[in-house]
Amino acid sequence: MEGETASDPIADGSPLVSRVRKLLFRRMLVGVKDGRFFLGSFHCIDKQGNIILQDAVEYRSIRRSPQSPMEQRCLGIILIPAACRSSCHVDCSINEQMSLLSII
Amino acid sequence: MEDRGGNDVPASIPSGEQMVWADVSPLIAAACNDLHDGELIHGENFNLFAAMSALEIMDPKMDSGMERNGFHSIEEAIENGAAPIPLSLDRTVDVQRCIDVMDHLLSCEATWHRGHSLAQTVFSCLYLLRIERTSTHPLLHSYCRIMRSTCDVVITAVSDARTHEEEDFFTTAYSLPLKGDGDEKCLSLLNSVEETVSRQLRACKAQASRKKLCDGRGLELAKKHVMSCLSELGSMSKSVEFLRSNAGGPSDGEIECRTTASGKQPFGFDANINSRLSAPTPPRAIQILSWKQAIEFFEKLLNDMDAIFSLPLDLSLENILQFLVQFQKSQPDLVARAHLQLLLVQDGKLYGKYSFHVVISRALVLPEGTSDQAFQENEFVVQLGQLTINLIKILCTNNAWQRRKLGKILQDWGVISIQLELAFRREFDEMLKVSADEILFTRLSKRLIVWAEEKTYWIASRFLLLGFQLELYSPKEYCMVYWYMYVIFVNLLEKMQMRASYPVDDSRRKGKKKRDLAKDVGLESGVCASSSCMLLQCYVYISEGLTMMLAALHNERQIFKISSPFNSEHERFIQHFELLQRANVPPHISYHLFMESTTHVRISNVVKHNYFREVQRILASLRGSFAGDSNKLLELHQLEQVIEHNRIALSVIDQVGASDPSLEIRFEFQHHPFFPVAVVKRS
Repeated sequence: MEGETASDPIADGSPLVSRVRKLLFRRMLVGVKDGRFFLGSFHCIDKQGNIILQDAVEYRSIRRSPQSPMEQRCLGIILIPAACRSSCHVDCSINEQMSLLSII
Repeated sequence: MEDRGGNDVPASIPSGEQMVWADVSPLIAAACNDLHDGELIHGENFNLFAAMSALEIMDPKMDSGMERNGFHSIEEAIENGAAPIPLSLDRTVDVQRCIDVMDHLLSCEATWHRGHSLAQTVFSCLYLLRIERTSTHPLLHSYCRIMRSTCDVVITAVSDARTHEEEDFFTTAYSLPLKGDGDEKCLSLLNSVEETVSRQLRACKAQASRKKLCDGRGLELAKKHVMSCLSELGSMSKSVEFLRSNAGGPSDGEIECRTTASGKQPFGFDANINSRLSAPTPPRAIQILSWKQAIEFFEKLLNDMDAIFSLPLDLSLENILQFLVQFQKSQPDLVARAHLQLLLVQDGKLYGKYSFHVVISRALVLPEGTSDQAFQENEFVVQLGQLTINLIKILCTNNAWQRRKLGKILQDWGVISIQLELAFRREFDEMLKVSADEILFTRLSKRLIVWAEEKTYWIASRFLLLGFQLELYSPKEYCMVYWYMYVIFVNLLEKMQMRASYPVDDSRRKGKKKRDLAKDVGLESGVCASSSCMLLQCYVYISEGLTMMLAALHNERQIFKISSPFNSEHERFIQHFELLQRANVPPHISYHLFMESTTHVRISNVVKHNYFREVQRILASLRGSFAGDSNKLLELHQLEQVIEHNRIALSVIDQVGASDPSLEIRFEFQHHPFFPVAVVKRS
């Protein structure tokens, strides 16, 4: 990730940023443009939207058809550039989901 | 945003219990908007350094799982008809396509030998990956089986020899299906298929036989096998026109880079299908060798193998070392070198036949009365045997590796020579329980010491000479290099002459192989040894002559002088000869000594001394003794050229005056790999 580490808390305290901060260490599922998904623990994000996941597992369908079974592979720590991200989900309870959706 | 995953999470990735996947993309996008440049959202355990090592998804150099618009799996590729069996319902087309597959596989195999991964080369073949599918197509099936077991055999040989470096060769097969039941019988399978094929399809007969020795009962058989493989490669080359005209493929210009003889793209290959298997290395874009290059590659490999199989099995160690040096000159492939090593050292024995104490005792000409048992158990003999094994193995590696290791083992050889010197009398007195004949022990151990020292100097000379092949010396350093070489050659020559002077007492030899041994020893310490000594004497004079010539040019013209502010001459001396100095080879050699012997040299002295004239005299008398040895004769010729040119150059410099600024002097290795020729020009 480029730039210096922001070791001090975000000064202006944007509520959106604090909400995203609460998602740290949660299970995050990121889809990328070639159809694969990566599931890992949310570790870091920068202004450009590049995400780092820890203990990530790659899911990849072994056939082109939508119902294809998926194969998995452990990758460890990965960086998903914002440009190739196509979806981003976190694992949460239904109540929480409502509040997450109500933000925007 | 076009995407295949969409916002829908596939059902096969479950969320936690009582949990759902909530889309956070909008939240993240908005939050990122609020972030300042360079700001990150991260937890307390975040470590930027660790984060730097993250694997970057969708980076083609890091992400081996990236989809490349190809098939997602072997199964999908096969279901989509990428590797049909039969290759065509039209039998003629089927055969043509089958040959294309074989050709391409051959190119893949050669590419693999050149250091690319198995997964991206041979195993890019869908037929090979699902070999059981091919069982209805006997020709393709047998070829795939042979290919698979050949890869397995080669990997085993190379891994056993352990002379490969990471970039040389990928012995790692990851999870590729390399072994299959019944692969060891692949040759008979192939034979039966060939019979059928030659009955059915005469035109394609030449294609069915495969190279490589899967097993060999003796070197004769192996040689025959190599010959038949070479002739098969020949007939394959001849079949090009036929195959090409049938295929109606691309034009001649384009065909050069094609991987098949017909010039057609083969069926059933997907270079990306295994990209995930090549992890942790990211998949690299590779170029498969062309069919023509592949044929040339295998021809060279087979010729190298033939040279190995032609090596007579009763050679003395000296001859083996010479053979190894000579063999390396042809720059043999890793696979050939691995086989040579495995042939020479098997189960800790030479050719798997002679223990190394026997090999050493042959070279020593043991005095009568030496107990074989005691000799064999002597700790120095055991150690020297081990050192000799290591030496042979090292001489089978590539040049760079060889030089590194030779520098290291010099120390061991140096140490053992000193230990021998210190301990021999007492040790041998106890070990060889022969009548208290002090003279015998002295003679024996003296021989052992001389032998060990001779080998030490031989290793040192090889170490220095390899520096030329690896281009490690700059012209400014030639003077010190030739000076050191001169010193080493002088010492080596001294030891060789001492050994050659041993009386050949074959009448007193005992043991079963009496006649063999006597013949061998007689040959070695007689004619051969004396001509080797004379050749070495030439090296001594040439090195000395070059040293003096270079030193005079330093002194009188200030050329080839090290004047770098970074590295003084003394520092370079240490850099080049540190390993030799540390091993004390030869003893009492220092930079100081080098300076002493070169600072006062003038061109006129060099001319007067006429080192090169001496060499010419020896060379003339050597011709006769090397008659029949083409390699040696070639070298004599090369040395003559070196001498002649340098002699002329020297007299020109002397006549014109070394300090004449219009003279332009360069040293070039056009005639000999490690003795240059002075090229003098007037501007």
